[in-house]
Amino acid sequence: MPQPKLISLAAAVDRFTQNGVQYASGAALPIGSDAIVFGRELLRQGRNQLHAIFHCNSQQLNLLAGAGAVDKAECGFSGLEVFGFANGLRRAVETGATQLEDYSNLAMAIRLFGGAMNWPFVPATVNIGSDIQYRSAFSPEEYPATSKIPMITDPFSGRQLGAFQSLQPEVAAIHVSMADPLGNAIMLGTEWSRFELSRAAKKVILVADEIVHTDCMRQFPNLVRIPDIVVDAVVYWPFAAWPQSSPGLYDVDEDHMRSMNKALATEETTQQYLKDYVFSYQSHRDYLGMIGNETREKITQTETSFLMDPYRKWILSADEIAKLVLEGER
Amino acid sequence: MNSHKLEYTRQEMMAIATGRELRDGELAIFGVGLSMLAGYFAQEHHAPNIRAMTEGGVYGAIPVGGLPWGIECNRISANATSFTNGVDALGFLVASGRCDVGIIGAAQVDKFGNVNTTGIWDGEIGEHYRAPKTRLTGAGGANDIACGAGRVLIMVAHEPKRFAEKVTYISSPGYLDGGNTRERYGFVGGGPSAIITTLGILRPNPDTKEFQLDAYYPFSNIEEIQSNTDWELKVCPRVHVVPEPTVDELKALRKVDETGALRKQ
Repeated sequence: MPQPKLISLAAAVDRFTQNGVQYASGAALPIGSDAIVFGRELLRQGRNQLHAIFHCNSQQLNLLAGAGAVDKAECGFSGLEVFGFANGLRRAVETGATQLEDYSNLAMAIRLFGGAMNWPFVPATVNIGSDIQYRSAFSPEEYPATSKIPMITDPFSGRQLGAFQSLQPEVAAIHVSMADPLGNAIMLGTEWSRFELSRAAKKVILVADEIVHTDCMRQFPNLVRIPDIVVDAVVYWPFAAWPQSSPGLYDVDEDHMRSMNKALATEETTQQYLKDYVFSYQSHRDYLGMIGNETREKITQTETSFLMDPYRKWILSADEIAKLVLEGER
Repeated sequence: MNSHKLEYTRQEMMAIATGRELRDGELAIFGVGLSMLAGYFAQEHHAPNIRAMTEGGVYGAIPVGGLPWGIECNRISANATSFTNGVDALGFLVASGRCDVGIIGAAQVDKFGNVNTTGIWDGEIGEHYRAPKTRLTGAGGANDIACGAGRVLIMVAHEPKRFAEKVTYISSPGYLDGGNTRERYGFVGGGPSAIITTLGILRPNPDTKEFQLDAYYPFSNIEEIQSNTDWELKVCPRVHVVPEPTVDELKALRKVDETGALRKQ
């Protein structure tokens, strides 16, 4: 019988991460779903020298790199879409604090796919012929780089393809709209590469905005793209993606997206941001207070809220969840 | 002569000129920002049956409330008919060769349509890779679209610093060194068919693949475009003026661009 896996955010970071860990975020591109709060907790617990595997940058990588906690990163897209360049990551890359290895968005996804299959590599015809193939931040002396995306020959047709090394991150924190206490999860919106990552990573922690009864999963089993058997822990944390969005639950907090990114542009203002928005809260209640009632009210008035309607009757209350967390940590 | 002068911005002209390149029924992929507005403008105006998707695997959606903040933004997740994933959209539908057309942006583009969105270096990078002086956004899905889409439209503001003889870093391949060099790599897609800018439209010479001035706008001219291009821009023999946006086109564009992202100068 599967067992409940609910634990606190602090316990998840404490138990599953250490300095230098190869850490992957399960997100929906740069400004959507992402367990940004997991990154805040990594910093609260002083984790550093991280090897970050982010299909795309998000405010989480922006924050972690801006705070100096990331030695190496591998990414497809490394900006913040319409919110502009990611100032924290940018500063870390420009100063040399973070080595950023560039791939494309498809390349990152198929590398996770390869990891899930336990294949050594996956062939593809993207990234070849460009400087993504020829330049390597991890092996800067190689030019053209031969160890990053080496060419291989299709044994059937003789065609040349790029070989993409598979990824099996040591630990992944995957943001989901809702999970049950056992670790079955439903993602609203694009899943991006969370499906592949949930099978590629060696340890998987779900960070869920809502916890629902397992009956919900039995009602919509086709939508459960992450089943409990690949999950190690479940963390309940409403507004886990803030200031980014979570389809069905809340929109992006435009003001904080901008002010956060502005703060991450310099060392000094980053320290202030850490003080105000990372080390400042002692509980989830404090965290909600930090976002502010007015903001929460505004961002939950989302055009996508109807997406949650089919699931609402199974949502567990905070008290029920708290009891399960106590049991899970015992 | 009609004395009424239609008011529109250069960015709106660029979006409309890009949208005009899209045909009804095509399978099309749009990047974030202006390219998305251009694409959804075409759907609103003349290509109602365009099969639009984003690289996140968001299908059947039309943005609500203005320019989406990202390709997974709630503004585009509010009325989708299918949500899938990156392997599906960028892999099964683009890398496979099924996608007809993609729209991408560029920080810097060169005369063979190669795009740099990775960084700005002081001078050449050199033999030993080094971090850029100014780090940009990386390739994202644009490399995958540039390699796999049947044809690619590049949208870019026309400024000298963005139009280089040769980009320092190729994030997304155009025709590489020109001529048939792209063919060496066996890409599934055909390469960029146009660079559409805030001043005009550039198209590749069929043999050399060097981009040449094909058309300018009612408000721009050949000299202005050449002086804003950092390579010796050749002019097509049949260079012409792009027709002004029509009332209907502007109406359709502004319906999609509800928050006026393209009207900010």
